[in-house]
Amino acid sequence: MNSNDIEMVSVTKTFGSNLVVNNIDLAIPTGEFVSILGPSGCGKTTTLNMIAGFAQPSSGEIRIRGKSQRGVPPEKRGIGMVFQNYALFPHMTIAENVGFGLKMKKRPAGETRDAVQNALRRVHLDGFENRYPKELSGGQQQRTALARAIAPEPSLLLLDEPLSNLDLKLREAMRVELKDIQEQLAMTFVYVTHDQDEAMAMSDRIVVMQDGVIAQTGRPAEIYEHPRSSFVADFIGKSNLLPISDIRQIENDWFVSLGTKGLTLSVFIPDGMSGHDARYCCIRPEAVRLAVTDEGIPPLPNRLEGTLSRIVNLGAYFDCFITLKDGTVLKSLVRSTRLPGLAVNQAVFLSIDPDAVQLLSR
Amino acid sequence: MDRFLSIFFQLSLILILAFIALPILVVFAASVSPTATITFDPSQWTLRWFAALTASRWLDPFLLSLKLAAVVTVLSGLLGLLAAYVVAYRKCPGHEAIMALLVSPLAVPQIVKGVAIVLFLSSAGFYALLGTPGLIMAHIVLTLPFVVRMIAGAMYNFDKRLDQAARILGATSFQRIRFILLPIIKPGLFSGMTFAFILSFNNIPLSVFLVRPGETTLPITVINHMEYSLDPVLAAVNVASLAFILAAILLFERIGGFSAQIHGGSK
Ligand SMILES: Nc1ncnc2c1ncn2[C@@H]1O[C@H](COP(=O)(O)OP(=O)(O)OP(=O)(O)O)[C@@H](O)[C@H]1O
Ligand SMILES: [Mg+2]
Repeated sequence: MNSNDIEMVSVTKTFGSNLVVNNIDLAIPTGEFVSILGPSGCGKTTTLNMIAGFAQPSSGEIRIRGKSQRGVPPEKRGIGMVFQNYALFPHMTIAENVGFGLKMKKRPAGETRDAVQNALRRVHLDGFENRYPKELSGGQQQRTALARAIAPEPSLLLLDEPLSNLDLKLREAMRVELKDIQEQLAMTFVYVTHDQDEAMAMSDRIVVMQDGVIAQTGRPAEIYEHPRSSFVADFIGKSNLLPISDIRQIENDWFVSLGTKGLTLSVFIPDGMSGHDARYCCIRPEAVRLAVTDEGIPPLPNRLEGTLSRIVNLGAYFDCFITLKDGTVLKSLVRSTRLPGLAVNQAVFLSIDPDAVQLLSR
Repeated sequence: MDRFLSIFFQLSLILILAFIALPILVVFAASVSPTATITFDPSQWTLRWFAALTASRWLDPFLLSLKLAAVVTVLSGLLGLLAAYVVAYRKCPGHEAIMALLVSPLAVPQIVKGVAIVLFLSSAGFYALLGTPGLIMAHIVLTLPFVVRMIAGAMYNFDKRLDQAARILGATSFQRIRFILLPIIKPGLFSGMTFAFILSFNNIPLSVFLVRPGETTLPITVINHMEYSLDPVLAAVNVASLAFILAAILLFERIGGFSAQIHGGSK
């Protein structure tokens, strides 16, 4: 059970002089849902294409189920793939599309029919068997593409931004469906996306890519709570990302100065980090506690005063922007039922638990 | 303003249709008129010119033209498919230059092609090929660029991601050609073959160099007949050929479904 479905060893890909994937090492255990997350152009699709066999690594090796894939064409790799643009066969009905993989493997017609039914039921498309792709909505086509990929029950499925063209509601519904399918069929999912909510919601593990290298790998909570760089902190979730101008130790306590105008916070140095390496600090908006009176905030070291300069109503939450005395702007996430009467230009008090201040070395 | 435009467009459409249809109507009237003078009085119309077409002097050339067009259509369809696959689909090295070369005969007048083929066959000593085999070759030379162009167009438009999708589902390259590529480019293939059929069936400028006595195609027989008489049987031949070609187009369309492509749909 501890075996890896995919291993990438020092994989590099160049297009001409353009280094697109730079020396990636990645092991994906069997049965895991792994998301590859990163901004546009960071090499996600290229990585997926190399795993699928549509592109060859310039150097390095890719192993699937322990076997080197050098020289193995995509049709022999025994994996499934959901393409970003669906790539449904326009001349085939939905049933024919979904049954295509089994037909190519020359499975008996009865078995194929059952598998098609099963796959369509999983994506809630039973009854659409005899339609053609162009007679389906975008979301239905999307689900057909998914059904086509899962019908042959590959143990390994690659998905390239498979929900990117859906509206928010359908996307959220599909996330749940995808996760169910992955768990019920015990499949390994490699899921490419640039939507961090999607990655957070579904993954066992997230691989954050940046300019062709892996910036960080870890469980969603781990990456959210302990980003290893300002890039990851900024990319995953919302954050107050502030450059550190000075850090000093007074007895057992550490203090950082942020900016040039004397904003100072008490912080904890995590194990394995030297305080003097800290370059940025990252504070999640929900860790910035906001109150309208002095008594509303706990008597912690990091107490700040400021003015509420902007409120974005997110429904259940307010996204508050607070301008501190020194001009620094901090974001705070406030449950709207807790402080319903908040108004712009109001004086507010903030407190930040030293534990919640992440120190980043880059 | 919209109303005016819509009337304007409808009027233009009617004029265009009339422009196309009138000559055909005249020929039709001629084909059923009892004498060489055309009459538009239906009570005098006769089918005897059409009956005359069943004589072997018309039937044999028709059958030759039909066989020729059928062979040319199939062969140029196959050759066009192979050429387009290598050049437009697999994009072999130098594919752009090769494509330009493949369609370049379009720029050469048919008379010049005819002369060139006759000169080639006779100077190379292939006199035996001057009849039907020469006709087949010559017609393929004529039709192949059209067919290649049409199929290549379909292949250039083919979404390569469909091939990738089939591939990751385990389809071998043979299966991908058979189940994905061919069905999707089929409209292009069949519209190319329809062109080939019409071009071959109606051809005069090339055929005129290659027909032999007793082995003349229908259009050449018409030309020969015209040299001594201009009787209504010529009109009947024309109407019959036109009807035949329309039927052939409909048949190709039924099999190939290319009007879907022309209208921008695909099924
Ligand atoms: N065939 C190619 N030839 C040259 N450059 C390429 C090729 N394919 C991709 N690239 C380049 O490689 C880089 C990474 O591309 P890739 O498609 O992997 O990005 P991505 O992370 O999937 O981005 P997106 O989120 O926009 O899909 C881009 O800068 C792109 O321009
Ligand atoms: Mg991509």
